[in-house]
Amino acid sequence: MLKIIIPTIMLIPTTTMCKPTQLWYTTLIHSMLISLLSLQLFYPSLQPIMNFSNHNLQQNQTSTPLIILSCWLTPLMILASQNHLSTEPLSRKRTFIITTIILQMLLIMTFSTTDLIMFFVLFEATLIPTLMMITRWGNQMERLNAGTYFLFYTLMGSLPLLVALLSLYSNTNSLSILTMQLSPTMLKNTWTNSMWLLAALTAFMIKMPLYGLHLWLPKAHVEAPIAGSMILAAILLKLGGYGIIRIMSTTNFLSKTPYYPFMILALWGIIMTSLICLRQTDLKSLIAYSPVSHMGLVTAATLTQTEWAYTGAITLMIAHGLTSSLLFCLANTKLRRIHSRTLLLTQNMQLLLPLMGTWWLLASLTNMALPPTINLMGELTIITSLFNWSNTTIIITGLGTLITATYTLHMFSSTQWGELPQHIKIMTPSHTREHLIMTLHILPMMLLMMKPELIWGPLYC
Amino acid sequence: MELPSSPSTYRPAPLASLPPQLDPAEYSESLEKRQAEAERLAIRARLKRRFQLQLHDPRCTGMIEDPAMHRWTYAKSYNIYPNFRPTPKNSLLGALFGLGPLIFWGYVFKTERDHKEKLIREGKYKRPFALSS
Repeated sequence: MLKIIIPTIMLIPTTTMCKPTQLWYTTLIHSMLISLLSLQLFYPSLQPIMNFSNHNLQQNQTSTPLIILSCWLTPLMILASQNHLSTEPLSRKRTFIITTIILQMLLIMTFSTTDLIMFFVLFEATLIPTLMMITRWGNQMERLNAGTYFLFYTLMGSLPLLVALLSLYSNTNSLSILTMQLSPTMLKNTWTNSMWLLAALTAFMIKMPLYGLHLWLPKAHVEAPIAGSMILAAILLKLGGYGIIRIMSTTNFLSKTPYYPFMILALWGIIMTSLICLRQTDLKSLIAYSPVSHMGLVTAATLTQTEWAYTGAITLMIAHGLTSSLLFCLANTKLRRIHSRTLLLTQNMQLLLPLMGTWWLLASLTNMALPPTINLMGELTIITSLFNWSNTTIIITGLGTLITATYTLHMFSSTQWGELPQHIKIMTPSHTREHLIMTLHILPMMLLMMKPELIWGPLYC
Repeated sequence: MELPSSPSTYRPAPLASLPPQLDPAEYSESLEKRQAEAERLAIRARLKRRFQLQLHDPRCTGMIEDPAMHRWTYAKSYNIYPNFRPTPKNSLLGALFGLGPLIFWGYVFKTERDHKEKLIREGKYKRPFALSS
């Protein structure tokens, strides 16, 4: 693990010391090498017994795909930010890259830590670089409001989480994730235990986001710069899912009544947010609402605590991370050309930018969970496990899949087909850098289709 | 094609409205109406002229911006809550459609799960397929 963390930390002095003309490709190649190095993290999880030298930083089959995804996204973030940072002075470019690197380092440590309090501290710490990115480099004035919403929604949920973790520590005198998994406590259905569960889960539910607590997400995603949107959609939402999986493996209620409010909000949120997506005029806002519905599926699945559900949840988290990040990059290419996020302003882009149309098509198809992508594997596993939990959920999840397909096709057809816009006089052709970003997003998705066991988590039987 | 002898023989039907050519009000425009029509025509012509000038301007190389489109997107996305005021009808509809489905689905899931748990406890639930092995 240290061979990934130390190069990441060392990238910060590299950024400050390299020559101005070499800044972008030095950081890009360095972070790309770190991400290639992180691929060897897959190796321990495929062995029967995992022996780690460090007691504090270990990895599990749950956390390995997320670590690798966060390492993989950093070069993509650096690639995607080159355009909008080209007008900034050099020191600000360096500051932006350093913010990105700090965020990556915190995320690697968050996913690999073995102690729940350390996880909590790093979970909170990831808020700060993201807040800096949103409020400093966002495009519009509403970014201040967005940063406030983003910060305070998560902080309001994390104070109860701290109290819950401390009470767990005072009960069991250890918050190590490794030993907690071996002794899940059977909790009686008292009000105290329900309050403990509410306190422990609320922070992660806000981060996921759960339907009733999701207001920060459209604001933060829309106002963030492209790198901020990518890392938010791909990884920071999955922090919530990862936290829920960790907490869920320790608690086992005798009767599942305390889970019901979260389950119902998650399931109903799938349909509601998909319907909201259909009514959006803003492209980035549409792409921002779609994680809420996919993460609603993940939340509902992790709350059922079955093996298939965990498998599906982890698969869908990784698949959705790549897909959402790809969609945000595509929306950013459009934004750079017409300086407006309105959906209907660019139509028939397939005629002007055909290869970008191919990436739009692949992104839309994977967002709709087309077979045989990993999105479908995750969604189908989740839908099956929810059907096992209660037969009526098939109505909600089936309708949700249908409406997801509808708004994805609406987004695709609005941007790619239709009449050519008459008010755009110049449309720059796609840069090779943009094609490279899209390819680097799609390549893991296609490769993971061949060997999905890598992202199926520890409970794959 | 002949017009009817008197204008009152043709009346509009439920699915067929009166065409403007048969409406006597069409042919008796007052002065105010004609002036208003002329003003609207002037505004439209001015907008079209501005668009054509921007379209064929060799120095303007960006997008042609439409302020009406900006106002529309602003109104649809950012200007909703500042103009919101809770009224009785508003609050009732919000409670009905916001909280109602949650209570409904909660009731559905709770009863179905309790029924299933009862069947499992009595040993009568046939597992359709092996989900966890």
